[in-house]
Amino acid sequence: MKKPGILLFALILASAAAAGTLAARTLTGMEVMEHVYTRPTGDTMYAELIMTITNSRGSTRDRSITQYRISDDAAGIEKKIMFFTAPADVRNTSFLSWSYTDGRSNEQWMYLPALRRVKRIAAGNTSDSFMGSDFTYDDMGERHPSEDTHIILREELYEGSNCIVVESRPKDSSCPYSRTLSWVVKDEWIGLKKEYYDDSGKLVKTLNIDDAKRVDGYWVIGDMTMSDLQKKSTTRIRMENVNFSRSLDDSLFTERQMKIGPPR
Amino acid sequence: MQRIIIWITWITKKPVLVLTAILLLTTAFVLVIAENASLETDLEAYMPSTHPAFIFSDDAEELFGIEDSILIAISHPETIYNEETLAKIARISTELPERFEEIEAGSITSLHTADNITSSDWGLEVEPFYTNAPSKETELQELRKKVESNEMVYGRTVSTDGTAALILAELGEGSFSETFYNDLKAYAAELEGPETIYIAGQPVVEGELARLGPRDMMLMAPIVLVLMTIILLLLLRSIRDTIINLIIVLIGTAAAFGLMGILKVPIYAVDTMIPVMLIAIGVAYGIHMHNAIHHLVREEPRITKQQLIEKTLQAMIRPVSMAAVTTAIGFTALITSQILPVRYFGLFAALGVIVEMILALILFPLAIQVLGPPKKTHEKEDEYLDEVTKKDQQLMQRRPGRRILDHPIIVGTLAALITAAALVGSSKVWIDTSFLANFQKDSDIVRTDTFVNTYFGGTSALNVILTADKNDRFKDPEVLTLLDTMQKTITEAPVVGGSFSLADFMRRMNSVMHEEQEEWNTVPESRELAAQYLLLYEMSGDPETLNRVIDYDYRTANLTFQLKSDSSAVMQTIINDIKTYTEEFANLGITIQFAGGGYKALVFADLLMEGQIASLALSFVIVALLLTLLFRSILIGIVGTIPIAVTAVVNFGTMGLLGIPLSSATALISSIAIGIGVDYAIHLIEHYRIRRLEGYAIQDAAHETLIHTGRAILYNAAAVMGGFAVLLFSVFPPNRQVGGLIALNMAVSAAGTLTVLMLVITALDKRGRFLKITKDYLDPENLEISKT
Repeated sequence: MKKPGILLFALILASAAAAGTLAARTLTGMEVMEHVYTRPTGDTMYAELIMTITNSRGSTRDRSITQYRISDDAAGIEKKIMFFTAPADVRNTSFLSWSYTDGRSNEQWMYLPALRRVKRIAAGNTSDSFMGSDFTYDDMGERHPSEDTHIILREELYEGSNCIVVESRPKDSSCPYSRTLSWVVKDEWIGLKKEYYDDSGKLVKTLNIDDAKRVDGYWVIGDMTMSDLQKKSTTRIRMENVNFSRSLDDSLFTERQMKIGPPR
Repeated sequence: MQRIIIWITWITKKPVLVLTAILLLTTAFVLVIAENASLETDLEAYMPSTHPAFIFSDDAEELFGIEDSILIAISHPETIYNEETLAKIARISTELPERFEEIEAGSITSLHTADNITSSDWGLEVEPFYTNAPSKETELQELRKKVESNEMVYGRTVSTDGTAALILAELGEGSFSETFYNDLKAYAAELEGPETIYIAGQPVVEGELARLGPRDMMLMAPIVLVLMTIILLLLLRSIRDTIINLIIVLIGTAAAFGLMGILKVPIYAVDTMIPVMLIAIGVAYGIHMHNAIHHLVREEPRITKQQLIEKTLQAMIRPVSMAAVTTAIGFTALITSQILPVRYFGLFAALGVIVEMILALILFPLAIQVLGPPKKTHEKEDEYLDEVTKKDQQLMQRRPGRRILDHPIIVGTLAALITAAALVGSSKVWIDTSFLANFQKDSDIVRTDTFVNTYFGGTSALNVILTADKNDRFKDPEVLTLLDTMQKTITEAPVVGGSFSLADFMRRMNSVMHEEQEEWNTVPESRELAAQYLLLYEMSGDPETLNRVIDYDYRTANLTFQLKSDSSAVMQTIINDIKTYTEEFANLGITIQFAGGGYKALVFADLLMEGQIASLALSFVIVALLLTLLFRSILIGIVGTIPIAVTAVVNFGTMGLLGIPLSSATALISSIAIGIGVDYAIHLIEHYRIRRLEGYAIQDAAHETLIHTGRAILYNAAAVMGGFAVLLFSVFPPNRQVGGLIALNMAVSAAGTLTVLMLVITALDKRGRFLKITKDYLDPENLEISKT
């Protein structure tokens, strides 16, 4: 019953948008999302992540992670290695992932120091939870714009920034969301807010970017929180000591390094 | 009292007004009932939510997502490892939450939704057993191998012989309804063939029970009333008085339920006992009124309408109102129960009793006013009366009850023996809230349940909640080892069909990380390894599954045992076994508590038992006090409770000896002992007292009392017993128990009053302990009436 209403609403908005302010523009929704996806993120990156998951009862799980990333655009590969530094009982547990831009599925390994073994783990679904948090792999930026159709709804001022509001609908009907709304800062191509709606049109998740800053010329999201409105849980990820200027060797992203631990 | 008599006499002169008022009130009650007549079938509604055990359980249920599940078993004559059956399992797993809003999304557990943690050649995988049903024989065999090597599903969601699979669907609290059950059955029927589909689970059993019991009672009620009417007609030989009797019980019941409706009190299943009580008690009032009127007419054949009304009222207001008020206060004592529906039951049964008393005191005089004194069918009135008097005299000469009165020792010994036997039986009374035991053995529900219990872990669950004194405790090897040990030991009991806890996860992960070697099917040996396994599981699988066994802080764990019986007595033994680990866990700073629907039912049963016994004891004391006040004698106060005591003891004794468990329905039946016992005792004592004051000798007064009050008591017992005996033919076992126990209670109350109480009174009287006291307080008014 609700669906036609929302569709109609969306249509009216879309046509109003098309007829109005955006009529003169050539920019499409897809282009906006492409800009966001391809925004330069540097060839290497070092960061310290603090992930805080809070469940509906207010209990929290804190995890501290040291992360290294290397991107080789020419080879179409991005490698990440993460070392857990806290809590103490998982210290030096490491996680390695190789992701490809050519559509091959990710390869992931995990090293358990208590077992002294590296285990490869199945990549699973991109809509699976990332480390048991409220983020999915998709939310962590791995979803390609071509998986959705995008339309620009409107432009509006959001937290002092001039934002384009893009509505995205998945092409694959098995996706857990029926549509998402993204607030993208015009010309900077960084998202500040995202809303996720389920099949019945209900808002189920929101992502808020509370701190975004430029480091070494690249945009860094220093603090973001995903809220799952149904499970009433939140996940906050903070990123500190971000550095794009370190030169990182490919040998860092290997099973061998996983066992050795973070480089000094 | 004189004022009440004048008032009632005045009222009887306005029959149109009275009848209109009664009719209007009754119509109002009936309308309210028609509007509010929805039965509260959610058992949670019965539970005292403020009780610590319930608060804890509710909290744990929320923490671990513990919900009652509907169990759908799909059975194939050969094997479920074929494309069609696997496709059906997948289909049901996907469609259930879509088709039924009662079923929570993401709450389905089946072979299709289960995660298979495996180690393949290249690494660790957490993946579904299958997504699309395989068709090739090799794939099917491979799937079978996967299932059989994973004890997290083998024997749990697929039977060990491979002929049946289970689909569990969680229901939101209180969302089970008849419509849902019927729709689900229709849906299952659509999918049947060649497979058979069974639907079981606690919500089905509870829901069906709550629905069928009252429904069966509704079906039986008219038969009870018709049979009772016939018996009343035969005994009273008066159409008029039979009709008045029926009006009294019907309006009394309508008033009780109508007031519940007006006060927005929901109707609970135990309230089906209200009409039962009101019929038994209302008929007693009616018969005593009838008896008194006919007695007066016989003594004074030419009595006028006005005289008859006045004399009837003078003779009956005191005993009827004393009996009613005492009964009502006795019922009101049930408000001390911790169980809300029982409190309401007491309150509204008491209100019904008062309404019945008022009706009995108004309607009989009104009938005399409108229709005149009861007429005799005999042409020659004098002759008839002579005959009656002669009959009475003959009866007196035969000394009715002489066998009782002349053999006090034998009667006393017999009564003592019966009471002693009953006391022994009472000690054997067992509490059981097995919902399943309430269904016929060949019913669908029982067959389905038996099937699931044979092939799978069990249809009932007990959740053991372990709480540590600090966070992360459940990563420690010593804690996990003890948890694993206890789990394994308890699961050895034949009634325990399965178990599930963090230890299972840990063992599975450990084994998988060691190429599934059996020697590694143990809990991890260090806290770090446990923590890293958990992290690995979160990284690779569905962390939601872990939330069912351990909390966020790794401080509280949920160990689930599946039981093959829903009997609370069975659960109690398992709980006792678990409690033997209390000290070992305490040494690790961990406390053991319990949760879940089954456990709450157990606590509920205990509360019910305690509450029932406490309220019964309280009612007993209140009745003794009231009788003491009414007859101004502590001795009579105590003696007057004899029928209640004997009835209650024999009631519980019979339940113990016949193995009838104490449940919410059977527990309340003992209240009938109060209602009827008080009534019988007051009428007997009052009648005897008046006869003695009229100058009868002790023995003659006793004989006369036995003729008159004794007859009323026997008529009342016979009519109620005859009516409720119909319930013995109910298709619903608990209603059969109710019928049988009511008949027993009526019989024992009557027998206890006419034998033991009568003997004790005459014995006291012979020693000058009865009349001497009563003379002191006689008011001249009473004396005067008695002498006429």
